[in-house]
Amino acid sequence: MAKKINLEMTSVENREMRLGTIIAWDGAASDLVKESDYEGRKEKKKGNDIPREKQGGCCGNGSKACRLCELKTPLNQQTMCANAIVECQIGNLTDCILIQHSPIGCAADNAWFNLAFKMGLTRRHKPVQNLKIFCTNLLEKDMVFGASDKLRQAIRDAKERFAPKAIFISMACATAIIGEDIDSIADEMEPEVGVPVIPLHCEGFRSKHWSTGFDISQHGVAQKIVKRNPKKQKDLINIVALWGTDYFTDILKPLGLRVNYMIDCANYDELAQASEAVATSTFCHTLGSYMATVLEQHFGVPQIDAPQPYGFAGTDAWLRAIAKIVGKEKETEEYIKSEHERVMPKILELREKFKGVKGFVMTGSAYAHGLISVLRELGIEVDGSVVFHHDPVYDGAAENQNSLKHLVDNYGDIPHYTVSKTQAYQLPQVFRRVKTDFVIIRHQGLAPEAAKLGIPALAMGDEHIPVGYDGMIRTGEILLDILARKRFNQVLQRHVELPYTKWWQSQDDPFILSKEPEILDKALSEKLKKKGA
Amino acid sequence: MAETKTKSGTIVHPHYGCTVGAAYTVAAIKGGVPIANCGPGCMYKQFFLISFDNGFQGSAGAGGGNIPSANVGENDIVFGGTKKLDDLIRSSLAILKGDLYVVLTGCSGELIGDDVESVVRKYREQGFPIVCAETGGFKGTNLTGHEIVVESIINQYVGDYDGEKEQGLVNLWFDVPYFHQNWRGDYLEIVRILRASGLKVNVLFGPQSGGAKEWKNIPKAQFNLVISPWVGLKTAKLLERKYGQPYLHIPEIPIGEEATTAFIRQVVEFAGISKRKSEAFIKEESELYYYFLEHFAEFFSEYWFGLPSQFAVIGDSAYTLAYTKFLASQIGMIPVKQIITDNPPPRYREKIAEYFHNLAEDVSVEPEFIEDGYLVEESLSNTDFGSGVPLILGTTWESDVAREKKGLLIEVGPPTTEEVAINKTYIGYRGAFTLLERIYSAAVGGK
Repeated sequence: MAKKINLEMTSVENREMRLGTIIAWDGAASDLVKESDYEGRKEKKKGNDIPREKQGGCCGNGSKACRLCELKTPLNQQTMCANAIVECQIGNLTDCILIQHSPIGCAADNAWFNLAFKMGLTRRHKPVQNLKIFCTNLLEKDMVFGASDKLRQAIRDAKERFAPKAIFISMACATAIIGEDIDSIADEMEPEVGVPVIPLHCEGFRSKHWSTGFDISQHGVAQKIVKRNPKKQKDLINIVALWGTDYFTDILKPLGLRVNYMIDCANYDELAQASEAVATSTFCHTLGSYMATVLEQHFGVPQIDAPQPYGFAGTDAWLRAIAKIVGKEKETEEYIKSEHERVMPKILELREKFKGVKGFVMTGSAYAHGLISVLRELGIEVDGSVVFHHDPVYDGAAENQNSLKHLVDNYGDIPHYTVSKTQAYQLPQVFRRVKTDFVIIRHQGLAPEAAKLGIPALAMGDEHIPVGYDGMIRTGEILLDILARKRFNQVLQRHVELPYTKWWQSQDDPFILSKEPEILDKALSEKLKKKGA
Repeated sequence: MAETKTKSGTIVHPHYGCTVGAAYTVAAIKGGVPIANCGPGCMYKQFFLISFDNGFQGSAGAGGGNIPSANVGENDIVFGGTKKLDDLIRSSLAILKGDLYVVLTGCSGELIGDDVESVVRKYREQGFPIVCAETGGFKGTNLTGHEIVVESIINQYVGDYDGEKEQGLVNLWFDVPYFHQNWRGDYLEIVRILRASGLKVNVLFGPQSGGAKEWKNIPKAQFNLVISPWVGLKTAKLLERKYGQPYLHIPEIPIGEEATTAFIRQVVEFAGISKRKSEAFIKEESELYYYFLEHFAEFFSEYWFGLPSQFAVIGDSAYTLAYTKFLASQIGMIPVKQIITDNPPPRYREKIAEYFHNLAEDVSVEPEFIEDGYLVEESLSNTDFGSGVPLILGTTWESDVAREKKGLLIEVGPPTTEEVAINKTYIGYRGAFTLLERIYSAAVGGK
């Protein structure tokens, strides 16, 4: 078992420290598999020492910690942050309240997660309601004199207005810098309001990647909500998810399992019963690995040690791993066989339609691995992908969770595999290098730029669409609609310019500035000369 | 809902962004490039309330969902962020096309006290059109931010001027770009009206603007025109001091023939230009207007199945006033709840309330100033809309109450997630009918 997560602490170690996460890299996926050295890191997580010379994937020699090489770029564009992730997790519970201890701007994306929340509730057949996140709305004088009384009052207001089952407090950049002590206030207020008050240390500046926010949210839930004295429910499986349609029930019903989705759209009791489930899995290790590992280490709920459930290979292996836990190996073999037979005719039909079609995926890391498998099952060529970060290992450090390796081993290499945190300015180079007929995206800012390059986008808002056997069909059918949109993109391409200078568009390497930073100065002095002339 | 009072100034369901949301003021200038000296999530967050989840407005150029950002990290907090900012500015200048670059500093940069001005000055002195604005999110709303950014551009980019003024040239200070979801369409209509009335207009935002060049012409204008109850007054006063320009303040954005005609006459009178052109335009537009109104009257008088009458508006000062005035004074609807959510400075509030006291002969309503969406919804929930279907012009946040009251909700302000705004306006001569079409299509369609 992997190194134990400490539930006594209120804060979580950042992903870059815990997992060696990087946010900028460019090369072949197979090289990243090698450099990541999942095996070595897995052993290390288990507490086994690996001699330095046997460690792979180190950037430079002699450093104590073995780090992946990472590119640095002077230009960055807006990204998400851990504080936003906490909103989209904890702020989307149906009977708990999140208080953002921050100036009002940190709450400006409430509306977006409200939209996602309402969609999610509809998909899960729950009553639709607007989310109810509080913001302490801090002003200049609060920066000077502190804002703890405002927070105390907000906790009381939350209790009085909504009688929530738990109250979470999220830290923001401003409150972290002025040193607000949310731990003490949570301890102090908990007896008064009579429900758990849970501090979350998710200030935007603390981690270089927003996905640390998932871990922080899950940590808070595990710390204070998940039941300590569980009564096993032998037919319950946890699926760590976002807002996706409930396809997991269809997939798992034949194994006699009920699905407990967490965290989005869940209520307090659903989170609490996570310790009563027989196992935990997820549609995406980037999202679910921390929770699955905490539940395994502290509550004895095993995590499914398998690839993610995408494409035939992944879904087969995933079902088999679950079958082993619930003791339904034989039934599951029959189920897998009949499912293959059921979906194959349609898949063959889709493969025919996608002959010669090229695709490109720009999403979160582990999810991209799943999506690319699905595209390749559909016969779509994928020569490149942009993922927003890379975790060389997951918290579970399980044998069969190396999702990038699973992809490369089963479906072949991806020659242009780019790790880059929603940096749209690199897209002219990315799409000159790799031709594609469409992109699949999550996260904002990329699709509109691809659109101007003539490329239509499938915004995969319902993240469960590609999951399982039917996921391949669902994805294929949506893609047919998206490909038709190319006409729109061609109109756009004919008439609308990109916002980048000619000089930048003439570059071929999206990471040229990391390798030759001095060309910037030349470009600037030429720009000035031109202006002067 | 239970009776409750907030004591903390806490906000549930925000109706505005923070100061640094004024990045969208920059994005609305043609050739304007916002550069965010901010934490990683700051621009992401503002993007939603001010642009995407506000009618899915989209952007042209460099201002959309991928604003250059320092994405300030822990090291920068501890060791200072000016090196990173310098790299960001240098690369933004080289990579992003633009005529005016505006560095906006958020909470982190302001709290750690980085000397942003000296970094920016270096590039300005080299000849790059770049300015900086202190927009720490704790300074207030995106409207405060809008005024800070406008002031920064005027002081650091437009600069001093002691040349001639051009008679009949007016600087237009009007909708706050993006915050007002129909701003692009609104500018088109107001600029059309002003130009047809014989004025020359410095259009500072939107599709008809000359961009940064046009900002350079600000000092040449004869006067400034502020169309808003309060936003823009600070700018006008600055320009009065700086360039000796007088300003005309018209608090009510005109909707419908009578208001728009009165608006034109007031502006033309102030400008002191010939009335020949404006009166001819008024005549032409009025004829058109009543041609359409007569058609509408048939539906409005003869629809058998009931139409909404009592209405609420939840929004910022400018549009709560404009919509309320038009529907009350021109259509004969009954205003029953008007809630202003944009936190206007206290010194303007009495004046703003007065406008609502004189909507028409015998039509008066007491507006409420509430920022906390929870209290907004509570107030709305306790409103008596009489026997008809309640009409609510508001935002996505009011959707739960609208459902509870079986009302008709039309989303007109941030956040708006059930409308798509492209080129739409509800103001002036032409927009009035688009507003009526929107309301009554919903009324007869039941949604």
